Formats: sequence, C-alpha cells, structure tokens
Amino acid sequence: MGGDRLKIIVSLSPPLLIIIILFFGGIFYGLLQSLGYHPAIQKYEINLNAYYNVMFSERYSKLFWTGLGLNLWVSFVSTFLAAVFALFGALAIRKTFFGKTICNFIYSLNLPMPHLVVAVGMIFVFSQSGLLARMSAQVGLIGSPGDFPVLVKDKYGFGIILAYICKESAFFFIILMSVLQSLGENYEELAQSLGANKWQRFRYVILPLVMPSLFSASIIVFAFSFGAYEVPALLGVNYPQMLPVMSFEFFLNPDLNARSEGMALSIIIAMIVMILVIFYFWLTQSKIRKD
Amino acid sequence: MKNIFKLFTLSVICLFFSKFVTAEVAPGFNSWDDVKAASNGEQVNVYMWGGSDAINGFVDDFYGVPLKNDHNITLNRVPLKGTVDAVNQVLSEKEAGVTGDNGNIDLIWINGENFWTLKQANLLYGPFASGLPNSKFVAWDNPAVNLDFGRPVEGMESPWSSAQFHFMYDSARSNYEDMPRNYSELSDWITNNPGRFTYIKPGKGGFVGTRFVKQIFFELSGGHDQWVGPYNEELYNKWAPKVWELLNSWESSLYRKGETYPTNNADMHALFANGEVDMSFTQSPRGAGPTNSAGTTPATSRAFAFYENMIGDFNYWAIPYNAPNKAAALMYANLVLEPTLQAAQVQPANGFCCGWGISTAKVTDSEGMSAIADAQNNLGDAAEDQGILAKALVSDIAAEYQDKIEADWQANVLLK
Repeated sequence: MGGDRLKIIVSLSPPLLIIIILFFGGIFYGLLQSLGYHPAIQKYEINLNAYYNVMFSERYSKLFWTGLGLNLWVSFVSTFLAAVFALFGALAIRKTFFGKTICNFIYSLNLPMPHLVVAVGMIFVFSQSGLLARMSAQVGLIGSPGDFPVLVKDKYGFGIILAYICKESAFFFIILMSVLQSLGENYEELAQSLGANKWQRFRYVILPLVMPSLFSASIIVFAFSFGAYEVPALLGVNYPQMLPVMSFEFFLNPDLNARSEGMALSIIIAMIVMILVIFYFWLTQSKIRKD
Repeated sequence: MKNIFKLFTLSVICLFFSKFVTAEVAPGFNSWDDVKAASNGEQVNVYMWGGSDAINGFVDDFYGVPLKNDHNITLNRVPLKGTVDAVNQVLSEKEAGVTGDNGNIDLIWINGENFWTLKQANLLYGPFASGLPNSKFVAWDNPAVNLDFGRPVEGMESPWSSAQFHFMYDSARSNYEDMPRNYSELSDWITNNPGRFTYIKPGKGGFVGTRFVKQIFFELSGGHDQWVGPYNEELYNKWAPKVWELLNSWESSLYRKGETYPTNNADMHALFANGEVDMSFTQSPRGAGPTNSAGTTPATSRAFAFYENMIGDFNYWAIPYNAPNKAAALMYANLVLEPTLQAAQVQPANGFCCGWGISTAKVTDSEGMSAIADAQNNLGDAAEDQGILAKALVSDIAAEYQDKIEADWQANVLLK
C-alpha cells in the first residue's frame, strides 16, 4: 500500500514539478510585478495602482472595456461557429462515400498550419488590396479594389473571427471524428429501428454522445482565442483593440513603469479565462449529473 | 589579524588608483593601447535590430572582416526583433545579479527611450564615447548628437549613423512638383485626394508616426526653436488642441476614414506598395532607395521632404554594465566611426540605409575625404535633394513630449 503510493508520487513528480515551477512560478512573478513590486527599478511597494490604471484611468479605461467586449465577442462567436461547422462537417463525412479521404484531408489541412500563416493568408485573400478584391475589380463586380467590403482589419473583428473559425474548426473536426468513429453506428441503427427520424437521431442520440468532448474542446479553443496575440495583432484595428494586443503594447514601452500595467492586464486576461473555464466545468458537471 | 591587514592594504591601493580614474580613456582602461591589448582574441557580442538583411550584411562584411583581420576580434552579431528585447535582457541579468564581466551583451544598437531606460537604471558602462580615438570626428557640440531625444548622452553611447524623417511618393502615380511642402499644403492634398493618405499610429513601435505628429506642433506654433530644451507643459497645452483639431479635420478624407492606422513602417510601406495610399515615410538620406532595392516599395518610388521641420536624429552604440568583452566593444564602437567606413554606410551600393554618424567636415585626410565625396555623389534619384533635407533639418525634442503626444493622440484622435 505504502509502496504503491510512493510509486505514484515518484512517477508524478517530474511533470508536477515542471508545472508548478514554470506555470505557478511565472504567474506568481507576474502577479508580483502587476502589484508594482519591481526590484530592478527600486520599486518595492505593493499596491493595486496598475489594475486601477488599466481598468479605470482616463487614459486606458475606454480602450480596456471596449477591448474586453471585443475579446468576449470574438471568442464566443468563433468558438461557437467553429464547433457548429465542424459538427456538420464530421457528420457529413463520417459515412463512407467516394472522395471521403480527400474531404477528410482538406478538412484537417488547417490543423498543422500556424495561426500566423492563416492570418497572413486572410490578408492576402480578403483585404482591400487582396486577391478577392482585385479579382472582383478585374471582372467588374466593383469599381476599384478599394470598394471591396472591409473584411479584415475591421472594427467588429470579422477578420479575426474568420481566421479562428478556419483554424479551430479543423481542431474540432479531428476530435469529433475520433469520437464518432469510436461510437460506430449501433446507437443510431437502434434508434432508427425504434422509429426515430433523422432530426431525432441527431438531437437525442448523437448530440448527447459528442457533447462532452465538444464541450472540453470548446474550453480549449475559447481560452486560446481569448489570450492569443498574433491573429488580432495582424487582423485587428487600433481601436477597439483585443486585450492581448493592448497588453503587448505595454511591454513594448521602454518606460519600465509600464511593465506593471502590462502584467496587470495579462493577469486580468488569465483570471477571466479561468473564471469562465470554472463556470463552464460547473455547468457541464451539473448537467451531466442531472442526466 | 592578517586578514584585516590585507584588507587595509587593499583599500589603500584602491584609494591610490582611484586617483587616476579621471585619466583613463574608459572605465578600467588607462590608454587606448590597453584597450587594444585587452581586446586581442576577444569575441564581441553585438545585439541589434535584425530586420534588414542589408544592414546585417553590412555589419558582417564591413566590421566583422576588419575586426578579425586587423584586431583578432570575432564578431558575433545577434539579431533582435526590437531593441527593447536587449533592454529587457540586461534588466533580467540585473535582477538575476549578473555583474562584472559576466553578462552576455557587449554592444546594443540603441537610441531614444531605450537608451534613457538603461541609463536611468544605471545599467550602462561608461562614460566611454569621448575616449574613443575617432571621437574627434563626432560633432559633440551639436545638440542633435549630444542630446538623444532631448536627454544628455554624457559619453554613455557613441554615434553610428543618422536618419531624417521625410516622405516617399510613387513617380508612376504622382509628380514631384505636386507633392506638398508643408503641413498646410498636405491638408489641402488630403482633402483633394480622399482616402489616399494615412500615417503611422503614434505609439510604441510606431515612433515614426509620433514624429510625423510632432512636426505639426513645430509648424502650427510657428517654429521649432521654442521646443528645444526641457519639457514645457504650458507650451504643449497651448498647441496640442490645435494639432488634434487639424488631425481630426483630415479624418473623413483619410484611408479607411481614419478607422484604423498602420502601426509600423512595414504596414505603411505595404499600403503604399499596394496602391492603397499615395505616400509613405522614410528615414533614410537615400530616400526611397533602400526600400526600392529591397522590393518593399515600387521601383518607381522617390523621396520628397517638406521645406522645414523635418526631424533628424542620431543612433548610437551602448555597452551594458556587465558586458563580457568591454575592450572589444570599445574597439568596435571606434571602428564604426572610421571615415572610410562611414562613407561606406552611406554609399548606396553597399545597401545600408542610414546617414552619417560623424561630421564630414571634420575629416581632413585625403582617403576619407574622397570616399565621402564619392558616397555623396552616388545617392541616386530615389533620394531627395540633400540641400533641401539639410535646410529642413531640426533636432528631436525632450522625450516627455513623445509619451504625451502618444497618449493624447489616442484620447483625442483615435478614441474621440
């Protein structure tokens, strides 16, 4: 008994140590700096000034709250739509048909692609000087490339959402395919033999079965898109500006006093994601218990 | 008892030698021969912005080779995404207690706020700049050299090259004669060409945009002279509302109606090259030359400058307090000021994009003078007339204005 426990502890400790040192160490250090503790520039006092500045000062408050709104909007919409697209894609593709392998390949093509590359691709294709704009102008759909609708670098974050849908639906797709494949078709055939129609089979059989994995994948995607920098940096506008971009601008400031604000903003982003994830877990857990 | 005696002797010796501190060429070196001897066989770790292949190649070829052949110093150039990365590294080393000669960085290509950050936090080695033999070519009495963004250099960095703000246009689209020559003409140009102009968002990473806005202060207030010297809040407050008023009056005629702005030079050049706007900015005495040959602007791009208030500044080399090879760093900082190498960095064929770090008038040897004349004559047709640039040259002003303009532009133009 005691030997077993020791074995578990010994085998768990290397990854645990790495997580504790790197993750909690980093968070702790960031927290200290966000509280104004910064020995390199002789600042030892602990206070909440940086948090106040970021959220309520005249200089940053407007940028912060609009940024938070944009963050929530982009993350929710892109997570939801990517999940929906992937679900329908997976359901359509899992049946055997001619060209299934090719479809499967195309659907998952985006997965190994870095976000940066997808974002740059968006600019090439959808910007006002991009491929679509030039082609539409060439064939006379619009007068000049400048008349093309603003789809990237737009203030509603459509370009960012589009890039995330493109990337994350492939991630959802892979997860859903593996779940659907492991389920087989027995449940559906059973439901069909009991008289369930197509919609009922989807709503009452498939959806509940894939929901747990869809939920956990959503958490990953949501948390990622909430805190990621590169896509909004490339496809966003200066205002409203997503929070990770705003945070990075604080770090670009050579005035070391701005580090505290940058850290405070990063901690706020981390806190919001954590709270949402906990809430999400609680929601799914209570639902599972109810079922 | 013996130890106490040792300690006592040691402190007497220290006191004795501290007498000579004022006589040394740089902290720790009594003569330039000392520096030379100590640098033999060292490796110099040069941390610099690495975004330009032309500049990287220039440093490797024109500095790396003579350092190795003539002085037995190995050049290790470390490319950075931004100079602030090097600042952060020195800062982290300070936090980690890395002192003496145990750091990693020997030299940083630096100016402005990054320099001020390090200097203010006592993270620099020096003063060393006036101890370099080639410092005699530097115009140390010129405020554009001895003040870096309005802050005293005090020998803690040594110049490399210079830059001056001006504009680019595409000769395939616009005529040189039609380009505006001051901000009031630019206003008219923008109104007459809606959607064809934008400027870089003033802010960190977009200091060229800040500079563009700063120059409006000079023109509206009737001259640059009153802005020289320490930060003057009253003066700023008097003119700032008028500047925001002007910028906001442009908004409906700007690219994307001012909904968004490019955030750095690369964004701005891309819009210009794509034909979305008709002007871009340049900082090079060669005008559009460097970006034309790099292919980031159309080959037909040319430069033009306003007739006044075009800010110029210098960039420098600084040595961190814990540089591992201080002697080699000093040798490097001295080498880049050689008149023939200064001429090489201006010479378009060498692909470097910056201007003189020395005052060419101070060069008297015939080899240096002919190299300088040759470089001047080869600037090419992508450059603005050097006389127009020289006449329009003004120095940058106190660093406080920078931050103030960036914050207030955001509040009064972007977010209003």
